[in-house]
Amino acid sequence: MSLDLDAIRADFPILSRKVAGGKDLVYLDNAATTQKPQSVIDAMTHYYEQSNANVHRAVHTLAAEATEQYESARDTLADWFGTTRDNLIFTSGTTEAINLVAWGWARSNLNAGDAVVITEMEHHADIVPWQLLAEEKGIEIRVVPIDTESDTLDMDVFSASLPGSRLVCVVHTSNVLGVANPVAEIISKSHECGAKVLIDAAQAAPHEKIDFTSMDADFVAISGHKMCGPTGIGCLLATSESIEEMEPFMSGGDMIETVTMEKSTFASGPQKFEAGTPKIAEAIGFAAAAEYLSKLDMMAVHTHIRGLAMYTASEIQSIPGITVYGDHSVTEGSGVVSFLHDSIHAEDLARFMDAGGFAMRTGHHCAQPLLDAYGVTSTNRVSYYLYNTKAEAAAFIEHLRYIVDKFA
Amino acid sequence: MTWPEALQAAIDEFADVFDPMERYEMLFEWAAEVNELPEAEWNDANMIHGCQSQAHVMCHLEDGLFFMRGGADAQIVQGLMAITCLAVNGRPPEEVAELEPTFVDAMGLKASLTPSRSNGFLNMFKRVQDEARSLTGGA
Repeated sequence: MSLDLDAIRADFPILSRKVAGGKDLVYLDNAATTQKPQSVIDAMTHYYEQSNANVHRAVHTLAAEATEQYESARDTLADWFGTTRDNLIFTSGTTEAINLVAWGWARSNLNAGDAVVITEMEHHADIVPWQLLAEEKGIEIRVVPIDTESDTLDMDVFSASLPGSRLVCVVHTSNVLGVANPVAEIISKSHECGAKVLIDAAQAAPHEKIDFTSMDADFVAISGHKMCGPTGIGCLLATSESIEEMEPFMSGGDMIETVTMEKSTFASGPQKFEAGTPKIAEAIGFAAAAEYLSKLDMMAVHTHIRGLAMYTASEIQSIPGITVYGDHSVTEGSGVVSFLHDSIHAEDLARFMDAGGFAMRTGHHCAQPLLDAYGVTSTNRVSYYLYNTKAEAAAFIEHLRYIVDKFA
Repeated sequence: MTWPEALQAAIDEFADVFDPMERYEMLFEWAAEVNELPEAEWNDANMIHGCQSQAHVMCHLEDGLFFMRGGADAQIVQGLMAITCLAVNGRPPEEVAELEPTFVDAMGLKASLTPSRSNGFLNMFKRVQDEARSLTGGA
């Protein structure tokens, strides 16, 4: 089933706006955040217009509707991610989900000398919490390097890092390189050594159907806003065994069973980790995003955005002075293409592209160790999503050629 | 605000151009006419922090009036520094310390001033004003 791009684009009102003095917006910063379809906007607006109330508490009509919609969002998302409502904890996004594993699971289950394996390909969100935990608990951090020739993780070092490790934290798909890691192999090898596995799926979930049960990871972290949902919402998928082993790291209302002035007991399941008034409208919007994606063929979505990235990488690497990062000869991976020009500063290039209506990202993409490995401090990055067209990619390439001709 | 003649000429020239690409090209032309801080003089002490680009500024007084030179590896930042030179050079430092950078808006370059963590212009302008204050002895 192919994608009807005209119909898809019509679902996203922002795509018809003009920028840079009347030029068509070409939005190529989807790895940072995706645009929202009307159905997501409507779901959140409808909630605020018709059902806004706090959840899990009052007995009035609006509270019942809000609770029903919020918990129904959990069902929808659990179904979309191939798990059950008892295994889906709402978080503010991937960063909070990883922090929940660090402070909710690792802090109470790891001891001094236990090892956590991370990789050089990680986003800062999957590096910094482990460094803080190492300072507090004396755990050891083992880093799997990237081979910058093949743009892949050094799997020999990975295997050698496993003995004695208790947790392996790996990004599913790099937000800088667009490279997908061998997640199935990583999970099975880690489990063979008795280590739990946390997968950062922020960049994978938008274009790959994440099935938590068949993936067999212990934790998967996901952001809603990178897959058509609103900002401020995401989730941690966690096995029942892992949830049982977790302690809350945020506490307060809505996560307790009983509270006395001496002691409190906690709710069980996901609610134990969702202290305070939850992100109700955001959860409803996140579920609407999953419903939107569920109407599409996700294999076609993946093929489409990966195809745009492969086409772009292949075209721009022939432009004099351009270096493309990441292996874009393989169909696995995302819609991300990072590149640099050898004489036009990345920031200048991004502004020149913006002046042509093209929204792209510049910087270290919150992955400084990965950029260090490549010997650069920033890259330009375009990232495609399901509503981008080949004509947009071609226009981007043409404008880049024009910029290089003019300013290099 | 009355701007120096050279800056006013730049503002007038920019006012007639609506295409952002043309504005950038014009910025580079103006940048080429202003003395920049050569890379050999870049060091940690004159580096402006908080920029995506490498940016450096040096300021001094001549006959009691403020002068700056700036250098950056990004052309647009270099251009904005050059325009800033036109705005501040030759003024009393007390005046520079109180200046609002509205000339960038008047030139239609406000998009380059978006207050994000990656934007260096405001950091650069604040640094210039801090230097002006310190040169008045009021730091």
